[in-house]
Amino acid sequence: MNPAVGLIAFVAVSLATAVIGFYGLRISRTTGDFYVASRTVPPWWNASAIGGEYLSAASFLGVAGLILLSGTDALWFPVGYTAGYLMLLLFVAAPLRRSGAYTIPDFTEARLDSALVRRVTSLVVVAVGWLYIVPQLHGAALTIRITTGLPSWVGSTAVVLVVCLTVVAGGMRSITFVQAFQYWLKLTALAVPVVFVLLVLAGNGTAPQAPLPINPTGQAPAGAYQHISLLVALLFGTLGLPHVLVRFYTNPDGQSARRTTLIVLGLLSVFYLFPTLSGAVGRMFAPELAQSGQADALVLLLPGKLIGGVPGDLLSALVVAGAFAAFLSTTSGLVVSLSGVISQDLFGGSVRGFRLAAVLAAVVPLGFAFTTDTLALAGSVGLVFAFTASTICPVLLLGIWWRGLTDAGAIAGMLTGALLCGGAMVVGTIMGTGNAPAWLAQPAAWTVPAAFAVTVTVSILTKGRVPASVNRVMSRLHVPERPVATER
Amino acid sequence: MTRVRVTAPRQSATAAPGRLPYPREVAEDSDAGRIFIRSLIRSQLRLALVVACGFLIILAVFAVFLVYGPGVAETSIFGIPLDWLVLGAGIYPVIGLSAWLYNRAAARNEARYRDLVEDQ
Repeated sequence: MNPAVGLIAFVAVSLATAVIGFYGLRISRTTGDFYVASRTVPPWWNASAIGGEYLSAASFLGVAGLILLSGTDALWFPVGYTAGYLMLLLFVAAPLRRSGAYTIPDFTEARLDSALVRRVTSLVVVAVGWLYIVPQLHGAALTIRITTGLPSWVGSTAVVLVVCLTVVAGGMRSITFVQAFQYWLKLTALAVPVVFVLLVLAGNGTAPQAPLPINPTGQAPAGAYQHISLLVALLFGTLGLPHVLVRFYTNPDGQSARRTTLIVLGLLSVFYLFPTLSGAVGRMFAPELAQSGQADALVLLLPGKLIGGVPGDLLSALVVAGAFAAFLSTTSGLVVSLSGVISQDLFGGSVRGFRLAAVLAAVVPLGFAFTTDTLALAGSVGLVFAFTASTICPVLLLGIWWRGLTDAGAIAGMLTGALLCGGAMVVGTIMGTGNAPAWLAQPAAWTVPAAFAVTVTVSILTKGRVPASVNRVMSRLHVPERPVATER
Repeated sequence: MTRVRVTAPRQSATAAPGRLPYPREVAEDSDAGRIFIRSLIRSQLRLALVVACGFLIILAVFAVFLVYGPGVAETSIFGIPLDWLVLGAGIYPVIGLSAWLYNRAAARNEARYRDLVEDQ
């Protein structure tokens, strides 16, 4: 591929991000604008923004790469990523909007009336955020290496720089516009090339090199345990992701939070058709990419390989732009929510502190990204979902729906989940992918129930610690807002 | 419009103006109000659990059918194997439909609660 293509695409996306960000900044005037976009964002914008933030490197590059490697087994990933939003809608969306809490630590502190719970939750949230940023940076490193031939660190460092600049400069309003723009960019960047490739292939009547159902590397199909564990992680991990939660405050009330989530489900369903299509085309027409260990770069390489020439270069540029949109949007969403948490707990919550925290939130995972290897992107993000599902999910679900939750139960549950799931991740990494047994490689099926069990048991044992405010908080979470006369 | 200097991240987002929660004070201060709230929470939880379980059962049926269903491996539509079609596209409408049904039912539960409180 022409190295200039990748560079131009990256610079263009970064500039567009910055321009929309600064334009948004100019029209943010009030405190409300700065924090939560004044809740004037219409549901379609808001849903696009949620989609833009959610669709990360794993969705953009990883899903197609995994489908290339393991076929129908990998199709469960996008199903789980989407169904996770269904669970979020059912159990979390409206109550969380009504809670008025702005971050997950704020929610647990308000619900359980305990500063210690807040601190433990903050630690877990920061861990989740950092773990989630690392695969984004790996994706950026891979993209820059494959498309321009520059060393890997250039890609991840560039993403961190752009994110720091935009986050430090802008508020949530500009971020909402940026994220919404990036959803549509990502969709276009995946859909147009793969449709073109299909048209060209149909036009010259190219015969497939390999049948669709056969794994090109001869990888064995996954067992029932892996599927179940993966689904547990994805279904229950989504509702605890810190950067997704903040987005719900741009809705005016609980009911519109639900409406927005419904639109998000539609947007995600449409989006995931295209990585699936790319993966299928890759299996049939470019199976050799799987052997050379470039599976994650499949969507980047496909247009150049199957079309070539100037049209191939143009389509590649579009895909690279989409990929960077994915890294930038997810990373900046995570950095915003992490710096909110870090600045409040570490720097006393000043704007200077927020900026310092933003830099800290972005630079630490950069260090991780330099010292770790690029795993399969969809797989490593799947592990982050397992960690979230084992730590934040039990506290959030039980906090919203069960009066009996206590601070001791919440802390015990989060620590259990973090130790079990984090331990499994560390041991699994040391043993190496492929060598670790299934229960270590996909721990969610046992760590999530364990975390739930510990939370409930300890809460029942410490019944006396149920906060006095529980009735007031519960009614705040669930009682619908007064309908507004002007509302249509 | 006045300019406001933002000095610290807010800990709690307040509801938008004019959208204060429904007569919460009334509801919390009487026994009847507390019962209404409890039954609202219970009916919303039941609804969420029913939709979640229904969806998971459909998912499980799909999965079992794709593995053990007679002739699934050989079936293809327009040259696309059936399992690819079901997993790659067929499940998404089910997710959307579950979400849509849930939204309607949840709004209905809340409307019922409002009617009860207004009657008080």
